Amino acid sequence: MSANHMSDPRRPNKVLRYKPPPSECKPALDDPTPDYMNLLGMIFSMCGLMLKLKGCAWVAVYRSFISFANSRSSEDTRQMMSSFIGLSPHTNQTDQQSPQGAP
Amino acid sequence: MKAFHALCIVFLVFGSVSEAKFDDFEDEDDIVEYDDNDFAEFEDVVEDSVTESPQQLITTEDDEDETTVELEGQDENQEGDFEDADTQEGDTESEPYDDEEFEGYEDKPDTSSSKNKDPITIVDVPAHLQNSWESYYLEILMVTGLLAYIMNYIIGKNKNSRLAQAWFNTHRELLESNFTLVGDDGTNKEATSTGKLNQENEHIYNLWCSGRVCCEGMLIQLRFLKRQDLLNVLARMMRPVSDQVQIKVTMNDEDMDTYVFAVGTRKALVRLQKEMQDLSEFCSDKPKSGAKYGLPDSLAILSEMGEVTEGMMDTKMVHFLTHYADKIESVHFSDQFSGPKIMQEEGQPLKLPDTKRTLLFTFNVPGSGNTYPKDMEALLPLMNMVIYSIDKAKKFRLNREGKQKADKNRARVEENFLKLTHVQRQEAAQSRREEKKRAEKERIMNEEDPEKQRRLEEAALRREQKKLEKKQMKMKQIKVKAM
Repeated sequence: MSANHMSDPRRPNKVLRYKPPPSECKPALDDPTPDYMNLLGMIFSMCGLMLKLKGCAWVAVYRSFISFANSRSSEDTRQMMSSFIGLSPHTNQTDQQSPQGAP
Repeated sequence: MKAFHALCIVFLVFGSVSEAKFDDFEDEDDIVEYDDNDFAEFEDVVEDSVTESPQQLITTEDDEDETTVELEGQDENQEGDFEDADTQEGDTESEPYDDEEFEGYEDKPDTSSSKNKDPITIVDVPAHLQNSWESYYLEILMVTGLLAYIMNYIIGKNKNSRLAQAWFNTHRELLESNFTLVGDDGTNKEATSTGKLNQENEHIYNLWCSGRVCCEGMLIQLRFLKRQDLLNVLARMMRPVSDQVQIKVTMNDEDMDTYVFAVGTRKALVRLQKEMQDLSEFCSDKPKSGAKYGLPDSLAILSEMGEVTEGMMDTKMVHFLTHYADKIESVHFSDQFSGPKIMQEEGQPLKLPDTKRTLLFTFNVPGSGNTYPKDMEALLPLMNMVIYSIDKAKKFRLNREGKQKADKNRARVEENFLKLTHVQRQEAAQSRREEKKRAEKERIMNEEDPEKQRRLEEAALRREQKKLEKKQMKMKQIKVKAM
């Protein structure tokens, strides 16, 4: 039904190249999760560092994982790595300073 | 690759966390009693008192320089940990003095020994010096959670990729028989089919097909659920959502007539009508039921004019829509498609957005979340529908009346737009004029040569005067005409 008996519908001379759609505001509107996660992560890691709450540091670790999983293709992997690495000192510090089991 | 990096980072974090815990253990401070060395001088005195007085064996335990002193006789063995080296054997001259003398002393060693005997009730070592697993309770919990997240990421990613591959394998033949170019990521110099999907994301796959009569190209987007994100998975347990396949066919200008038309589930149409620029402008009525044409109740129609609906709903299309109604989310044909409404802060955009003739299809994958690769075969007939629609859109032409109506509609929309933006455009022109004036003034100010300055000022003045005169002339003319 699709390919007519009469003729092949293909037209090699009418081939158009793929143009990735210009990155507009649309992707951000569709899925704001990574952006929220980044923002929350910044806040939590700052809190964790300043207020020395272990829980905050762990939340920051979680958010970096979540934003990594939800990342859009346009974002750089290096950005993710740097956010991971920026977290480990926080977790270490809080662990050393308040080593009791629960915060 | 990404997963590997993530694992490395987790191990790094965990390792540094555990190291921090193992502080050096300080030795327990022995409880020290330092007695005075006062009684050393009484060593050689009366032996009676010696027998009476308690003798203590004092030994040193630690490395400090306390000499060990032997006893001449001892009544009791004291097991305490005394650091002090003194012995008391003999003591004072008089007996009562001795007793008195030793009273306090007896007590002291007794109490101290009792204190030291009890440490058999061991003093509680503070938590951070313990080397047990209990103190790491929180860490263990958190790391377990992270590991679970990573596992889910890997599993979800693999599942999505398998689903995508299954879809492509099922549809490959159909696509290749219809399009010259199947799969293109835009990076190759030549237009050769890559023959595979473009992975944009862990859950979005693209496929571009081109080289067919009537249409410029077709972009297929497989939007899967975010199986790689644990939070999403948990959220989906509350509210089941389906994977979606979105197909966007860009038509050639000459191959499609001017009309706007949509059919789909009522909910989807309501949402589209709000969001999409063209639907909101051209199809102002609420979605109508398609029962008149034999469509099931779940589907509704949005159309620019009745004639379009009549033309579109031929038997074959109705057949398609009825049989696969559960998989169809929306079908949208439009010659004025420009995407969703753009919300700009300054108000309306100053220019009408570019439009393209497009056919859009959104299909739901059956299974509502719990899809298996074999479910992808169910979507094959829908692709047939897409191809059929492309051909139909080429064949369908509005008659004269319809064309007139369509043209009127479009003119109306444009006029409205211009009216709305008229105020904005005026303001923009005004601000531009003011900018020019300001720039000139600045130029005059910055001119160092006073001569030049004066000349420029005069020129500006003259221009202003001319403008004023013109305006006055105009006003006069209008007055004359009015009279």
